[in-house]
Amino acid sequence: MIQLKNLERYYKSGFQKSWVLKGINLDVKQGEFITIMGDSGAGKSTLLQIIGMLDAANKGEYNFFDEEVHRFNEKKRTELYKHYIGFVFQAYHLIDDLTVYENIETPLIYRGIKSKERKPLVAELLDRFNIVAKKDLFPDQLSGGQQQLVGLARAIIGKPKLLLADEPTGNLHTKQGEEIMKLFKELHAEGMTIIQVTHSEKNAEYGDRIIYLEDGYVREDKNVNELLEKN
Amino acid sequence: MFRHHIKIGYRNLLKNKTYSAIKIGGFSIGIAAFLLITLFVKEELSYDQFYSQQDRIYRVLNVSTNPDFQVNEWPSFSAPIANLLNTDYPEIETAGRLIVRDWFLAGENQFRKSTENQNNYEEGFAYVDPSLLDIFEIKMIYGTREESLSKPFTMVISKKVADKYFPNQNPVGETIILNDNSEEPYTIGGVMQNLPSNTHLEFDFLLTFVGVEFWDGEQTDWCCQNYEPYLRVKPGTNIQQLEEKLLAIKEDYLLKELIDTENAFAEVVKNHRSFRLQPIENIHLQSGVIGDNFKHGDLRVVQLFGAIAIFILLLACINFINLFTAKSANRAKEVGIRKVAGSFKGELVRQFLTESILYSGISIALGTTLAYLSLPFFNQLAGKNIHIPMDTYWFFPSLVLLTLVIGLLAGMYPSFYLSKFQPIDVLKGNISKGIKNSRLRSSMVVFQFTTSIVLVVSALVVYNQMQFILKSKVGFDKENLVLLHGASTLGDKTKAFKEELGRLPMIEDVTNSSSFPVDGTLRNNNQFWINGQQKIDKGVSAQAWRVAGNYHSSMKMNLLKGRFFAEETNRDSFATIINQTMAEKLGLENPIGEQIWNGGAWDIIGVVEDFHFENMKREIRPLVFFKTRGNSAIIAARIQSEDFSKTMASITGVWNKFMPNQPIRYSLLDESYAEMYAETERTGNVFAACAFLAILIACLGLFGLSTFMAEQRTKEIGVRKILGASSSNLFQLLTYDYLKLVFISMIIGAPIAWYLMKKWLQYFEYRIDIVWWFFIVAGVLVAGIALLTVSRQALKLTFSNPVDSLRNE
Ligand SMILES: Nc1ncnc2c1ncn2[C@@H]1O[C@H](COP(=O)(O)OP(=O)(O)O)[C@@H](O)[C@H]1O
Ligand SMILES: [Mg+2]
Repeated sequence: MIQLKNLERYYKSGFQKSWVLKGINLDVKQGEFITIMGDSGAGKSTLLQIIGMLDAANKGEYNFFDEEVHRFNEKKRTELYKHYIGFVFQAYHLIDDLTVYENIETPLIYRGIKSKERKPLVAELLDRFNIVAKKDLFPDQLSGGQQQLVGLARAIIGKPKLLLADEPTGNLHTKQGEEIMKLFKELHAEGMTIIQVTHSEKNAEYGDRIIYLEDGYVREDKNVNELLEKN
Repeated sequence: MFRHHIKIGYRNLLKNKTYSAIKIGGFSIGIAAFLLITLFVKEELSYDQFYSQQDRIYRVLNVSTNPDFQVNEWPSFSAPIANLLNTDYPEIETAGRLIVRDWFLAGENQFRKSTENQNNYEEGFAYVDPSLLDIFEIKMIYGTREESLSKPFTMVISKKVADKYFPNQNPVGETIILNDNSEEPYTIGGVMQNLPSNTHLEFDFLLTFVGVEFWDGEQTDWCCQNYEPYLRVKPGTNIQQLEEKLLAIKEDYLLKELIDTENAFAEVVKNHRSFRLQPIENIHLQSGVIGDNFKHGDLRVVQLFGAIAIFILLLACINFINLFTAKSANRAKEVGIRKVAGSFKGELVRQFLTESILYSGISIALGTTLAYLSLPFFNQLAGKNIHIPMDTYWFFPSLVLLTLVIGLLAGMYPSFYLSKFQPIDVLKGNISKGIKNSRLRSSMVVFQFTTSIVLVVSALVVYNQMQFILKSKVGFDKENLVLLHGASTLGDKTKAFKEELGRLPMIEDVTNSSSFPVDGTLRNNNQFWINGQQKIDKGVSAQAWRVAGNYHSSMKMNLLKGRFFAEETNRDSFATIINQTMAEKLGLENPIGEQIWNGGAWDIIGVVEDFHFENMKREIRPLVFFKTRGNSAIIAARIQSEDFSKTMASITGVWNKFMPNQPIRYSLLDESYAEMYAETERTGNVFAACAFLAILIACLGLFGLSTFMAEQRTKEIGVRKILGASSSNLFQLLTYDYLKLVFISMIIGAPIAWYLMKKWLQYFEYRIDIVWWFFIVAGVLVAGIALLTVSRQALKLTFSNPVDSLRNE
């Protein structure tokens, strides 16, 4: 599904280049649940953003479903956001002026789905995430955990093939975090490909593969089961 | 503390350059317009306000309640009026008469010193009683108010004229020849200071009435009304009582004259005539319905201008308030922290007010400069000669006062709004929502665009009315007609001159008359009856024009019935041709062969189609033609050559051959015609200029607002992008709110504009309809400009990279 070959990302400051990512090689198959780990500043977010096509590499190859991503234009990317990729952020990034319900249905609007058909889809997610009672509230009236549930609901309502999550539990209590992780697990079981960034070893165990980044290099790429076996 | 406030304000100004530029720019433009218009209004209101006996000087007006009259108030009386006022009314200190319209030597003349041969055309001659020098408090440079006009054939000239003809010398005692009439030379009795620009009186030559009698017995005759009386009452006079006492003039003289001549008009006068004393300071602005011969201002226009000035200032203040509060999200943190640091609310209010006054001070300085620079343009637009009164003691203090008032006005709301923020809200991040959805801000934007739309529609209506006037069928052909003025001096040579002119190859036709269908040519008013009814009904009042036999064909008028005058000199001397309206008013279906009477009988030999000989504000009135006795004030030539200057050179050649001592003076009839509507055109220009300013200010504000909103919404747009929103989705999202506001403005503005313009058009008897597309054009124009204004920010945001806004907190 995703192939990264010799990927580089650097910033120029003056005459100097400083590399954030260097020589990244990565293969992601459909249905995998990958966790990216590493110290702060290791380049995790950057990598995720490149995979999510929010950012572009300076060098190297990136193929998405065997198509070369650097040839994609804005329209094509928008197309992918609509049908293939969902995002979850550490800071939730809900739209302040829209209610919970409206936030969740927004992607469907951009897909041109009619209001009547949107309703059952939103209702189903509200129900599944246990936030039916909150549906008419605005984001600032919710707790962090509830906001992230809305964020997740919004990310998956379009049934994306790929879910990208950058520290989705970073701002949450352990308990709220667990709830989100359980949902990730369920989605994975349903066949969704997930790539998450986290600092928590415990969260990493929900997935089946862990990639350790260090100063822009992939230091380790392990199967979770191997890891568990080792311990 | 104050210095601290100034410092913070100044720093903020520099920090947000775009906002500051927009705030100050919009404000300065608004203030410049406000200043100019205020000066204009002030000038208009200052007319005739400078007399030492201000509240005792009046003009006497006839008032008629007769609904058949077009004009219900007019200032003309018979010659004996002044003596009567002076002798019979002890409460009147002194009274005197004035004639300013073209009448004998009043109006315009050929002027020369007796020692020279070359004539000079001069305007601004008036006949006055010597007492007017006293009443008008004329300032004399040479001679005295008492002596200068006390002898027959004396005149007073203005300093301007004295400087022109007698530089650096005292001209008192010099001899002047008018219109080559050396039989009756005038002597200069005095020189007066030039009249100020803000008086309704406009003359440079005062001819004395002493010794004047225009025809035998004229000075004691109550037949005709040619004199305009002014008077000064004694202190403490009750004006209303005096007006009532004046009714004796009607009983003793006017009616007596009419009854003696068995004039049926007596009945009308008896029932409908009274008199009014008009304070001198009201003459300029409040004489709209008075038929006199002065150029007037219009109180309504002054009020309209005043209202527009205030609106433009409001628009500018709104920008300021909107941007200030919009930016307040960024300031809120400052407020919160200051409060935690121990600042009182009052202190914060003071801080923000200081800042606002700082802005208003800078804007007023810039605005004044801008006003100064655009003054020539404004003067042209308003048809005035206004200067900025830098040299007066009150000007700069008023600017300081204005700075404070506007600073406080504009800063008030934002200051209280900002200082209300609580630290806890700020730290929780609760404010941004309230700021974004401010209904107040939307209403202010709506106010701005409503004003813009009203002004655009108004400009469109006025422009179209103007085009309608200039293009509509007027009943004669106004193109290619050259009028040669001052032709009465040709005397017996008129016929020969016309013939010689007619022989020029580029001249199609030549005719003559003193009356033409443009302002500034001879007008009169006579009462006509169907012959035999003069003692029965009250008759029809009509213009009587003396014209040459080929007048209708030269003017290309349409003869409906009968024929025009014969060319031979001695025929048709008692024939008349009337216009359609005259026929209607007389109630004649077949006027040919009937007779009309006005002291003598006239055979109607033709009916000419109605043509516009007055401003289209008025209905076409009755008019009759008589055959001219020979010479007249104007000779008109219809030219057919492409080369105007060559044609004019040939015409001038012929003129100079006949009149070597009098320079040719000509005008083009179509230009004079357009000039009749100069006031209307000016109104249109003012609307257009104000509409432009309003839109400019509103768009500056909108630009600032959209920039700010764009900043606020970057995160949201980023989120929407990764949710799959396309560029056009986003563009719509970002512009929709503004277009909605413009749309609301249209809905509010359209009926207001419709109502105002409906009222304005009522001043015109011949007018356009207000059609739906005016509103569509205005709406599309304003919406288009608004869209252009906001789309810069919208596009920038739409094509920004979402990662920038989402990356990291
Ligand atoms: N615009 C930028 N210019 C220069 N360096 C940047 C820029 N954006 C990010 N970086 C650098 O890239 C590195 C990786 O950032 P990031 O991917 O956010 O790390 P992580 O998410 O692993 O904490 C950091 O060292 C950061 O300083
Ligand atoms: Mg990160």
